[in-house]
Amino acid sequence: MTVQRHVAVMACVLAATALFTAFCHDQFLLSLAFTGLIFAVLGQSWNWISGYAGQVSFGHALFFGTGAYASALFATHHGSPWLALACGAAVAVVLALLVGFPCFALRGHYFSIATIAVAAIAEIVVVNTDALGKANGFELPILPPGLASLQFAGKAPYVLVALVLFAAAQIATVALEHSRTGYYLRAIRANQEAAASVGVDARAVKVTAFAGAAAFAALAGSLYAQQTLFVDAESTLGLSVSIAIALVGVVGGIGTVWGPPLGAFVYTFLARYVAALYGGHGRGFDLLLYGALILAIVSVQPEGIAGIARRFRART
Amino acid sequence: MDVGPLPQLIVSGILTGLLFALISVGLTLIFGVMDVVNFAHGEFLMLAMYATFGLGLIGLNPILALPVVVVAMFVLGALVYRFFVKRLLAGPPEAVVFGTFGLLVFLQGAAQFFFTSDYRSVLNPPFSGTLHLGGIAIGEAQLAAGLGALVLIAAIFGFVEYTEPGRALRALSEDRVAAQLMGIDVQRMNAFAFGLGIACTGAAGALLMLTYQAYPRIGTEFALTAFVVVALGGFGSVHGVLLGALLVGLVEVLGGYYIAPALKMLPVYALYLAVVFLRPQGLLGRR
Repeated sequence: MTVQRHVAVMACVLAATALFTAFCHDQFLLSLAFTGLIFAVLGQSWNWISGYAGQVSFGHALFFGTGAYASALFATHHGSPWLALACGAAVAVVLALLVGFPCFALRGHYFSIATIAVAAIAEIVVVNTDALGKANGFELPILPPGLASLQFAGKAPYVLVALVLFAAAQIATVALEHSRTGYYLRAIRANQEAAASVGVDARAVKVTAFAGAAAFAALAGSLYAQQTLFVDAESTLGLSVSIAIALVGVVGGIGTVWGPPLGAFVYTFLARYVAALYGGHGRGFDLLLYGALILAIVSVQPEGIAGIARRFRART
Repeated sequence: MDVGPLPQLIVSGILTGLLFALISVGLTLIFGVMDVVNFAHGEFLMLAMYATFGLGLIGLNPILALPVVVVAMFVLGALVYRFFVKRLLAGPPEAVVFGTFGLLVFLQGAAQFFFTSDYRSVLNPPFSGTLHLGGIAIGEAQLAAGLGALVLIAAIFGFVEYTEPGRALRALSEDRVAAQLMGIDVQRMNAFAFGLGIACTGAAGALLMLTYQAYPRIGTEFALTAFVVVALGGFGSVHGVLLGALLVGLVEVLGGYYIAPALKMLPVYALYLAVVFLRPQGLLGRR
């Protein structure tokens, strides 16, 4: 897609979401929209490294959790949530550099399993550290609503804040696609040896994208914590969160600008809304549906929903 | 010198390791023959455990259920290859990772939906006593599971080493193109290897039900351990698996005792990272 087209689609999505937020008074639907936007940002940031660069990570929750814990720690120690956003993102970037540098020497499944191991280690450490709330986690104190506390009375303002982050992530992705780094990432995915032979420093490029992705995931984690006002290890760092993030990307279509948001929309609709209608959480209906969707997509349409859209466009 | 519980822990670690080896040998077989890392491996194990539980309901204890479960899992594995994995292999390189991962999510969701999250244990465990050997107390069930695993691993080694289909499997993992030129039917052998790999989880699942309980997420725990084992032994190396599994079993049991039970997986993951960073071909793997 050309930049103009991205801008047009972006404007439509923003306008539609803003209108929906303004006129919808159903708090459940609004919280679904919030979840959808958060997962869109998570899926998109995962897509940078696992889609564009083809390095499949199953540990992206590490950065989401970093942001969520930053918010929880700042809130319980009377810090500003805005500072928490900044610090969470900064810590996530540092973590991404520390983790990324050794891990990007690995390829294929070695890398994927290493990301699982790193996130699992983080979860074990958090669950056994007093200062991080152990397995109980944190309940964030309820503060007077407003932009200063980043807490609001209804769900609508949260949706709008998440929408801003989503827009930023989309713009960053379009910019990445058209940047030198973006071309390098795709070159690495296609053939790392060939890319290296023409002077692409594969590891440096991957670590750079990883750090940027980590920052976005941490920001999403902070906003998530501000909205749910509860943070614990399993719901922010657990393997199931990393799986959900990866699935959002795969279903939507990896290596595309609009795949992850589409995947996030389908994920929240299927996993949260339909599952809430039939059986609710804990019964695994959401996983069952989502797993079936993945199986269908991977074996019939490996490019995800965005791939179907592309094929359709190519025909018309 | 008083060695304290060390001998006890070592025995326990070895018995645990033998079960890890049985699970991991399936994973490494599949990887060696067709370059597929089966992320759903643990979920097949979970299914086998439920199957053993189900057969227990009609009166078969886990040992009697084992052959039935093994055959059923072999057939299931071959079918999954034929109708799913084969398609993934024809797709882009990430398709295999995403596909088997999707299978993980699907099977786990299905188990949770149909069997609920409750823990299930067999109602008629054939072994329940404890053996005391020179100060070491071993649960009979644990011993039976470990020895059963040892026998089956030996059988698989023998099969891979000395039989015609075993030679074909090895030929495929050495050089796929050459094997094909020698008249080996790759698709048939792939299906066979996938079935065999999943049959290993069938045997392990039945043996595990002697001491463990089945629940929908149990597979993930064992699968993560199996990845570490396989990485330690070198992906695709059948012999490396036994060494890796015993190491991981000991690390897990000793770590759980001397560090803290809550931290027992920490050294296992750390071991994985150390191995892939420092010796990516594994302890016995080829480059």
